Amino acid sequence: MPSSTATSTFSPKSSEPVAAPAVELRGVSKRFYFYEHRTSSLREWFIRRVLRRPLHVRRAEFTLRAVDLRVERGESVALVGPNGSGKSTALRLIAGIYRPSTGRVETNGRITAVIELGAGFHPELTGAENIALYASVLGITRRELAARYDEIVEFAAMSDFLDTPLKYYSSGMEARLAFSVSVCLQPDILLLDEVLAVGDQAFRERCLHRLRAYHDRGGTLILVSHELDQVRALCQRGIWLERGEVVRDGPIDEVLAAYRAKPR
Amino acid sequence: MVTTVHTRQPLEPSRRLASVWSYRELLWTMVLRNLKVKYQRSLLGFVWTLVNPLLTVTILVLVFSHVVRIPLPHYWGFLLSGYFVWNFMLQTLNTGTYIFAEHSRLTRSVAFPSEILVFGAAGSRLIEFVAELSLIVIVLAVFLHHAVPVSFTLLPVLILLQLLLAVGLALPIATLSVFYYDVYHALPIALTTLFYLSPVFYPAQMVPEAARELYFLNPMAGLLTLYHVVLYNGQAPEPYLLGGMALGSLAIFLIGYAIFNRYVDVFAEIV
Repeated sequence: MPSSTATSTFSPKSSEPVAAPAVELRGVSKRFYFYEHRTSSLREWFIRRVLRRPLHVRRAEFTLRAVDLRVERGESVALVGPNGSGKSTALRLIAGIYRPSTGRVETNGRITAVIELGAGFHPELTGAENIALYASVLGITRRELAARYDEIVEFAAMSDFLDTPLKYYSSGMEARLAFSVSVCLQPDILLLDEVLAVGDQAFRERCLHRLRAYHDRGGTLILVSHELDQVRALCQRGIWLERGEVVRDGPIDEVLAAYRAKPR
Repeated sequence: MVTTVHTRQPLEPSRRLASVWSYRELLWTMVLRNLKVKYQRSLLGFVWTLVNPLLTVTILVLVFSHVVRIPLPHYWGFLLSGYFVWNFMLQTLNTGTYIFAEHSRLTRSVAFPSEILVFGAAGSRLIEFVAELSLIVIVLAVFLHHAVPVSFTLLPVLILLQLLLAVGLALPIATLSVFYYDVYHALPIALTTLFYLSPVFYPAQMVPEAARELYFLNPMAGLLTLYHVVLYNGQAPEPYLLGGMALGSLAIFLIGYAIFNRYVDVFAEIV
C-alpha cells in the first residue's frame, strides 16, 4: 500500500492525483559506527577475535535521531545548523546514498543530488565525454541528455573547451560543468550540499538565477548551506538541525533569526 | 512519477535487477569509458593488450616444449586456447578489487547500483577478450586444424559461462576489499596459487586420477578444460563437463551477487 495515499485525509475523487509529498522521512535515524576503530586488517581481527583482547571499542553515534520531515512538491527548503548536525546525512538519506538505521524515507520523483561536484568525472576524458558520463551516472538516458545538451554547454559557458581533457580544466571550470549538468537536467527534486560557492561571481549569480527559475517551474529544492544570505534569497522554508534533531522548522526568516540568535 | 522507499532492509533481488536495468546506459557508458581511457594517447593501442600475453605465451611454449616437456602435439595451440581465458579472469578480478576504492567519490555522492562498476570492468575486458579470441580462432583454424571445427560454435556459450564466473567471483572479492585492505595483499598471492592449480600450461588429464575430483572443485579447471576441448581438440565437450560448469558458474554468480547485495548499502559510508 503506497503510503502517499494513506497520509492524506481528503483525497479528491477527481482525476487529479493525490498530491504525494516530494520527500517524506518518518522516524528516520541514522547511526554510524566509527570506522577508524573498525577492524581493517587481519592482524587486528586476530588480536580481537583470537586473542580476545579488545583492540578498539566500536563506537556508535547517532547522526540523525527519529526525524520526521515532510517536504511538499514545489517547496524550497534550506537545512541549516552547525557542522556535524546531520544536514549532509539527511541529504544523503533522501538521495538514497545512505540507508536509514530505522524508519523510512520516501521520495516521489526523480532526484538529482549534488553532494560532491564532479564525482564521476574522469580526468582523461574530454568535457563533452564527461557530460555524457555524468549524466548517465545520474540515470539520464542519452535521449534526454541530447535534448538538454546545448543548454548545459551554454549555461556552463564551456563551448570552447568541450574537446579538452578535463585534467586541463581549472577547478572552477570543472565545478561549473558539474553544476550545469545537475541543474539543467531538470530533476523533480534537487538536493544541493554546499555547492553554491563555485565559479566566479558572475557564474554564481547565474546559478542563483537558474535555481530560482527551476523552483518557479515547480521543482523541489532542498539545500544545505552555511551562507545564510544566499539561503534566504533562495528558500521559503528553513529547517534548523542540531545534533541530529530538528530544533526548528518554519518560514525561512523565522528560522534564520532564531538560528542567528542562538548563543554560541 | 518514480516513488522510492528506503528502509533498513537491503533491496529485494527483483528491485535490485530492475534498478540495474534502468541504469543499462550507464553500463555501456562505463564500458566505453574504460576502453577510451585505456587506449587514448596510445599509438599502438590494442597491440599492447596482445604483446604482454603473447610474450608470456612464447616463454611458456619455449620452457614447456623444450625444457620441461609436456607431451602434447602442437603445444603452442594448447597454450593459446587457454592462456587468454586465464588472463581475462586475472585482469577482471584485479580491476574488480580496486574498483570501489577508485570510485569512492562517486559511491559517496551518487545513488546508483554500484555493481555496474564491476559489470563495466568485466564488460570492457570482455570486448578485448573477444577481439583476442577472434585472432586465436583464426590462427588455430589455419595452422592447427586446417579447417574450422564445428565445436567452435560453442564458444559463445563458453564466453557466457566465463563472464558469469568472473563477475560472480569479482563481486564478493570487491565487497571484501571495501572492508579489509588485506585483500590487496592477499589477492595476488591467491591468483598466483590459482595459476599453478589451474590447467593453464598443462592439461587437466596430467593431474593424478586420485586428485582429479578435488582438482575440478576449482571452477577454472572446468572452464579451461572446456576451452581446451573446444579450441585445441576441436571437439564437442562431454555434456557432464559443460552442464557441471554451467551449474557451477551460475551458482557462483548468484552466491557472489547475494553477498554483494548483503553489504552494498554501507559502501557509501566506508569507502
